[in-house]
Amino acid sequence: MADIKVKLETADLAEIENRILELCQQLPHGITDQVIQNELPHLEPQHRAVAINRLLSMGQLDLLRSGTGLLYRLKDAQSSGKMKGSDNQEKLVYQIIEDAGNKVASRVDFTLVMLVSEISCWLGSSVLSAGIWSRDIRYKSNLPLTEINKILKNLESKKLIKAVKSVAASKKKVYMLYNLQPDRSVTGGAWYSDQDFESEFVEVLNQQCFKFLQTKADAARDNKQSPMIQRNSSFASSHEVWKFICELGISKVELSMDDIETILNTLIYDGKVEMTIIAAKEGTVGSVDGQMKLYRAVNPIIHPTGIMRTPCGLCPVFDDCYEGGEISPSNCAYMSEWLEF
Amino acid sequence: MTQAEIKLCSLLLQEHFGEIVDKVGAHILQTGSQPLRLISNDTGTPLDQVKKALCVLIQHNLVSYQLSKRGFVEYEAHHDRVLRILRYPHYIYTAKTLYGDTGELIVEELLLNGKMTMSTAVKKVADRLTETMEADGKAMDYGEVSSTFVRLVDTHFIYRCPAPLEPPEGAAAPAPVAPLLLTSEKDMYTVPKLSMIGKGKRRRSSDDDDDDDASEQQTKRQKKEADSKETLPDDGIYWQVNTERFHQHFRDQAVISAIANKMDQISSEIVRTMLRMSEVTTSSNAAHTQPLSSNEIFRSLPTGYNISKQVLDQYLSLLADDPLEFVGRSGDSGGGMFVINLHKALATLASATLESVVQERFGSRCARIFRLILRKRHLEQKQVEDFAMVPAKEAKDMLYKLLSENLVTLQEIPKTPDHAPSRTFYLYAVNILSSSRLLLQRCYKTVANLIERRLFETKENKRLLEKSQRIEAIIASMQATGAEEAQLQEIEEMITAPERQQLEALKRNVNRIDASENQVDETIFILESYISTSTKP
Repeated sequence: MADIKVKLETADLAEIENRILELCQQLPHGITDQVIQNELPHLEPQHRAVAINRLLSMGQLDLLRSGTGLLYRLKDAQSSGKMKGSDNQEKLVYQIIEDAGNKVASRVDFTLVMLVSEISCWLGSSVLSAGIWSRDIRYKSNLPLTEINKILKNLESKKLIKAVKSVAASKKKVYMLYNLQPDRSVTGGAWYSDQDFESEFVEVLNQQCFKFLQTKADAARDNKQSPMIQRNSSFASSHEVWKFICELGISKVELSMDDIETILNTLIYDGKVEMTIIAAKEGTVGSVDGQMKLYRAVNPIIHPTGIMRTPCGLCPVFDDCYEGGEISPSNCAYMSEWLEF
Repeated sequence: MTQAEIKLCSLLLQEHFGEIVDKVGAHILQTGSQPLRLISNDTGTPLDQVKKALCVLIQHNLVSYQLSKRGFVEYEAHHDRVLRILRYPHYIYTAKTLYGDTGELIVEELLLNGKMTMSTAVKKVADRLTETMEADGKAMDYGEVSSTFVRLVDTHFIYRCPAPLEPPEGAAAPAPVAPLLLTSEKDMYTVPKLSMIGKGKRRRSSDDDDDDDASEQQTKRQKKEADSKETLPDDGIYWQVNTERFHQHFRDQAVISAIANKMDQISSEIVRTMLRMSEVTTSSNAAHTQPLSSNEIFRSLPTGYNISKQVLDQYLSLLADDPLEFVGRSGDSGGGMFVINLHKALATLASATLESVVQERFGSRCARIFRLILRKRHLEQKQVEDFAMVPAKEAKDMLYKLLSENLVTLQEIPKTPDHAPSRTFYLYAVNILSSSRLLLQRCYKTVANLIERRLFETKENKRLLEKSQRIEAIIASMQATGAEEAQLQEIEEMITAPERQQLEALKRNVNRIDASENQVDETIFILESYISTSTKP
């Protein structure tokens, strides 16, 4: 009885597979379990799993994770086409680099498909990649170093992969697929150009942001409204600051709101600005997750403290200074200069 | 007590009380409690000199004595009180701003003499004031001075010294080795009724006519002592300056000026009103003031400010909302109850002081890193670089500099028991309390250095100073005898132009060093109060 059933399935299996592939061709963006279920209502879940597993292992389907569930898609004919004329080792290295395509990819246990698969969800070239370090490739592939270098050079010349220098360590090269964009952890985001931290750029932005908030605070103070209004009008949301900076056009690179908030944070650490978070209606400009970050310029609470107004406060040889010694208050050059000033 | 403190104490004692007192005082400071003979032996000073020195120190409340278990008297010095000598100008200045010239002179006299009876203090002040008014030919009234004195007592700026216990009536018991002093809470701020009539006198007049006026006011105890002739009506009741109360005032001023800097004048005025209202009801070391309702505050606001109740409420809620947290909301009754968080305020001021030190010494980038760590408590080096947006190399440099100056601390958290660096978290943190202590020591040494320098400057020009003094004396005496203008001119020319210039420069230098000493003392005050509030339970 069982044998008959199995045979029946084997006969059907080819047909089911064909149906699924057809579906995939109709919907190039990928299909979900739900789609298969709708098209093949009589198909039992178990059979479906077997069919899909076969297709996956044959390398005809790709398994992707979308927001709601799993997505099946026809394997990129182009990439497999690219690999033509490559040997197994090259394919292996390419596979490793492809797998490393996204750092967030994680191992998923998927019981229905009964397949443990490395899931990399890449949707075209907009995906950011952290890449993979050549040493990691060596560990994963177990190939000798010279071999790896040769293969990597080969793949690079075919424009299948590219090498990117990381900002974290300038000597470290990471590899990723040619059509991927390097992640912020590799390029360092807007603050880096060619692995160098642009501290002047940051400083200019820092000053401009402060100037903006300062003008706003001054204006609020001058309009002589009630204290509550005065305070509230001295606040500016991060969106306003972002707009101001964008309109100034001091930045050649596109800055995001997050970038501006990082800059504003440095102002907080400078003690020049304070931040409050208020609840904002969803959809208000500049609100994130129903909250809005407001910034305002504040004055310091004390003037430079007394000790710093004496030469001793700044003295670099303070600890070696004592009366009767080589350095002493009586023969102190700093103090003489200060007294003559 | 640290080396820096002892050094500074010794310099202060020397400056104010001279060589011998300094020797004795510094010795007791270094060794702790000591009996008389031992002090004399160890310092190699004759016994009677040591006695006199101790008398001076006790009179100024710098040394206290105690009967030890073995039956001899031990003397102990209080370095904190010695260090307050540094603050005397500030006390006097405060008295001047609050109570005018009279208050200034009263406090000055009390500080100069350590302890004084009210009658002598009032007389002396009236005399001094009269002297300054010589030109108008007017004289200062005793009544006026004593009313200022009473006001100072009422606001607790002056309090009564502990009095010796009355010996039991008619007992033949031998006099105790060391008199026991007691303060009664009740009498601490009560002024004996004195009717001081009369006016300040010029220097030559004698004092004998005042004694009759007040003789009927003598208390029971004083009657006994009245056998000795010419006792003053309030003999035995001595007064001294209440430094704690002055400190409370300084602290309030610091809080008010911080609010004025951060927010605006009106907010600071409101805070001032709140602090004034709770001055007497709150003890000087309380963590926060008694709650005050907004209605009460409204009633006590100075009239000049013209703030409506509505605006006041807005200001109060702004103050309470401010991240500074100087003002807190403690309830909603009576239009909202508000307190001032005094300890919190001191902690904020202390950390602002530290921040300012980092800013001035290491630049604003370093200050950014310092504040960043202060806010985030514990950070790894990489995080510091990212948050502060400082290039990795610079950030490393600054962190290590701060670390070597002990302004930040480094905490290792190993993942494995072998403490391998690659498997260990290195967290940077700021400990305000210990950094404040460190800075305080630096302040002490700074003041000591400034004093040393001042002494050096005057010593260098000693000959010149003496000469100019001599010439001034001659001129004064010649003016008194009515010398001719030409003669005076001649004598004045004995100081040459370069010498005059040098004198000017010296005067300027000494003034500048003096001013700096006072400025450093402001820092010392903030740090001392913060440390004392945060270490007391």
